[in-house]
Amino acid sequence: MAVDLPSFIHLARPLAPAAIGVQPTTAPVNVIIQPQAIFSILDHAIRRDIRDTQSTRVIGALLGVRSEDGMEAEVRNCFAIPHTENEDQVEVDVEYQKNMLALQLKANPREVLLGWYTTSLDLNSFSALIQNFFASPETGTFPHPAIHLTVSTDAGKGIEAKAYISAPVGVNAERASESCLFIPVPYDIRYGEAEKSGLELISGAKDSENRAAPVVTDIEGLERAVDQAIDLLDRVAEYVSSVLDEEREPSNALGQFLMNALSLAPKVDPEDIERDFNNHIQDVLVVSYLANTIRTQIDLSQRLATATLTMGGSDALAATGGGEGAEKGDRGGQRGGKRGGRGGRGGGQQREPREPAE
Amino acid sequence: MADTAKEVPLNSVQVEALVVMKIVKACAASFPTTATGSIVGMDVNGTLQITNTFPFPMPDVAAADAHPNDHMAASNLAAAAPRSKANITYSNEMIKYLREVNVDANNVGWYTSANMGNFVNTSLIENQFFYQKEPNERTVALVHDVSRSSQGALSLRAFRLSPSFMAAYKESKFTTENMQKTKLTYKDVLVELPIIVHNSHLLTSFLHQLPAEPAKKELEFPASLADLHATQPPNPLYPNFESLDLSIDPYLEKTCDSLLDSIETHYTELNNFQYYQRQLAREQTKITAWKTKRAAENASRVQQKQAPLPEDEWERLFKLPTEPSRLEGMLNARQVEQYSRQVDGFTASITSKMFAVKSNLLPESS
Repeated sequence: MAVDLPSFIHLARPLAPAAIGVQPTTAPVNVIIQPQAIFSILDHAIRRDIRDTQSTRVIGALLGVRSEDGMEAEVRNCFAIPHTENEDQVEVDVEYQKNMLALQLKANPREVLLGWYTTSLDLNSFSALIQNFFASPETGTFPHPAIHLTVSTDAGKGIEAKAYISAPVGVNAERASESCLFIPVPYDIRYGEAEKSGLELISGAKDSENRAAPVVTDIEGLERAVDQAIDLLDRVAEYVSSVLDEEREPSNALGQFLMNALSLAPKVDPEDIERDFNNHIQDVLVVSYLANTIRTQIDLSQRLATATLTMGGSDALAATGGGEGAEKGDRGGQRGGKRGGRGGRGGGQQREPREPAE
Repeated sequence: MADTAKEVPLNSVQVEALVVMKIVKACAASFPTTATGSIVGMDVNGTLQITNTFPFPMPDVAAADAHPNDHMAASNLAAAAPRSKANITYSNEMIKYLREVNVDANNVGWYTSANMGNFVNTSLIENQFFYQKEPNERTVALVHDVSRSSQGALSLRAFRLSPSFMAAYKESKFTTENMQKTKLTYKDVLVELPIIVHNSHLLTSFLHQLPAEPAKKELEFPASLADLHATQPPNPLYPNFESLDLSIDPYLEKTCDSLLDSIETHYTELNNFQYYQRQLAREQTKITAWKTKRAAENASRVQQKQAPLPEDEWERLFKLPTEPSRLEGMLNARQVEQYSRQVDGFTASITSKMFAVKSNLLPESS
C-alpha cells in the first residue's frame, strides 16, 4: 500500500574510505516511513521551542527496523532531540539522545537507530555535522548508512519530505567532520492493515473546521462506505450511459475492465440465494436474540443477588439480636441466590439451540 | 492543575491523531499479547487532551514464562505492567525527557489493547484504580480493541472508574450488605467518556496530500487493460471500504465463545456464593443449637442456685464463613453486557450487508 512512489534512479556512490576489514555498506537504501513517524515529526515541529534557539527547525532521531540485507529500512518510530543552532555553531544534546534511545529501545527491543530527521528541507554544513554524528561507528548506525529525512513544515505550503543517505567527501582532514555528500534515496509512506482504521478516523477529521472527529460506530462507518460506493457506481453508470448515447468517447480498456468486473458476479439459482439468505439471517438474528437474553438474565441475577433485603428484610434491620438478624438476612440472601441460580440455568438452557446457529 | 479545574468533572477525551496511531501500532505489534503504555496530556475545562503516548517495556516473557505458546501467562504479565514498579520508574523517566522537548509532561492515564471486547477484568480495574487514586485523580484508561478495529471502524474507548466504585474498592467492601447500602451495581463500575480525535494544522495539511476521493476531473483514457491495472487510483483512506467486507461470522462466533465463557464464570461465582450460604446456614444452626443448650443449662443452674454461664461464648467457639467478594460477579456481568452489545453491533451491520447482497443478486425480489 504505497502512498507515494516517485520513480527513482540509483547511481553508484563514491565509496567511503573505510578501515580495512569493515566495509561500510554502500547498497542503495529504500526507506519506508510509517505514518506514525511522520505524525510524530509534525507534532514535534509544532512544539518547537522558539525562545532560545535561532533556528526554525527541530531535529530528532529515527528508529525502526532494517531488512536483513540492509536494502530496506522501515522507520517506525522517532523521538525529538533538543538542539540549539545559531550563525556559527550547533549544539545537540548528545546525552539526551543517548538516554532517550536507551529508553525507547527498552520498550521496543526490536528497533534500532536508523538516522535522524529535521523539519526543514535545507541541507547545510550543520546537517553534515549531525549526519556524521549519526553515521559514526560509536554513536550511530555504522556500518549501515544513516538515513536523513527532511520534512518541510512551512505554514501554508505543502508538506514535502526527502530522504537521504550520505557519503564522505574528500576535503582536508580538519573539515571532514563537517562535510559529507547527501545522496537522495527513494522513500514511500506505507501503512499496514492495522493502521488503516486509525487513519480512516483521522482523515475523517481533515475537512471539518475544528479539525476534530468523534469515534464512529461500526454501523456509521458502514453507512458512509455504502454511500461512497453508491456514488462511485453512479459515476460509472453515468459514464456508460453517456457512451451508449454517443455523447462521450468510448474506451475499449474501460469496457473490458467493466466486463471483467461484472463477470465476477456469481451465477446462482434465485431459490438457493433465497434459502441461504433466510437461513443465515435467521442464524444471525438468533445469536443476537440469545445474546440479549443472556444479558437480561445476568442483569436479573445481579439485581436479585443484591435486592433481597429490601424485599423481605425490613424487620431484619430492626431485629436486635445479632444472630437473629444475620439469620434472616441469610434466608433472604438464599432466596436471592436461588433465583440467581435459575437465571444462570436459564442462560445455560439457551445454549443448546445456539449450536446450529453457528 | 488549578483548583478551579478540579470542580469540572471530566466529560470528554480528546485524542491527538499521533496518539491514535501510536497506540494502534503498539497494540497491533504485540497482538495477541496485551500491550500497555502510558499517555500524557493535560486537562482543559473538563476535556482531557491526550497529546502523546509511549509504550511500556514488555515484561521479560522468556524469563518468566517457560511455555512459549502460553499467551495467557504473557498476557497477564503484560496486563499488570502499568502498575509494576519498574514501569512507574520508566514512565517518570520518560516524562522527564519528554518535558525537555515541550511535550505535555503530565501523566493522564494509560492504554491497553483488547481482543474482541474482553477488557473488563480485574486487571483493568486494578490498573485504573492505581492511576485514579494517586497522585492525579483525573486519569483515563484507553482501550483499543485490535480485533474489532480490523473488522470495521476503529474501536478506541476511554473509561474511568465511577466515584462510588472507587470508594467501595478502596475499602474492598463487596459484600451484599454493602452493595445494598451503596446501591452499587455492575453498571456503575466503569464510566465511558466520549472520544474525539483531533488533528493539528500541520497534520491536516499533510492529510490533504494523501489520496482522498477519486478525482473529479476528466481522466485520460487508459490505453489497455494492463495499463488500467497498473495505474489503479489509490484507495482513499476515508471512508474505509474494508468495512464492506462480508465475512463477519468468525467475529460473531468468537464473541459467542467469549459469552459462553462468561456464563461459565457466572456459574462458578454462583456456586461459590451458594456454597457460602450453605456453610453459613450450617454454622447458624450450630450456633442456635448451642444457644438453646446453653440456655437450658443456665436454667438448670439457676434452679440449682449456681451462677449462670456466659451466653456470648459462641462468638469464640464458632467462626462464621466470610462472604465471597461480589466484585468478580459484577465485573463478569459488565463483561457480558459488553459482549452482547458487541453482538448487537455485529448483527446490525451484517444484516444490512446481507440485505444488500440479496437485493443485488435478486433485484426483482426487493
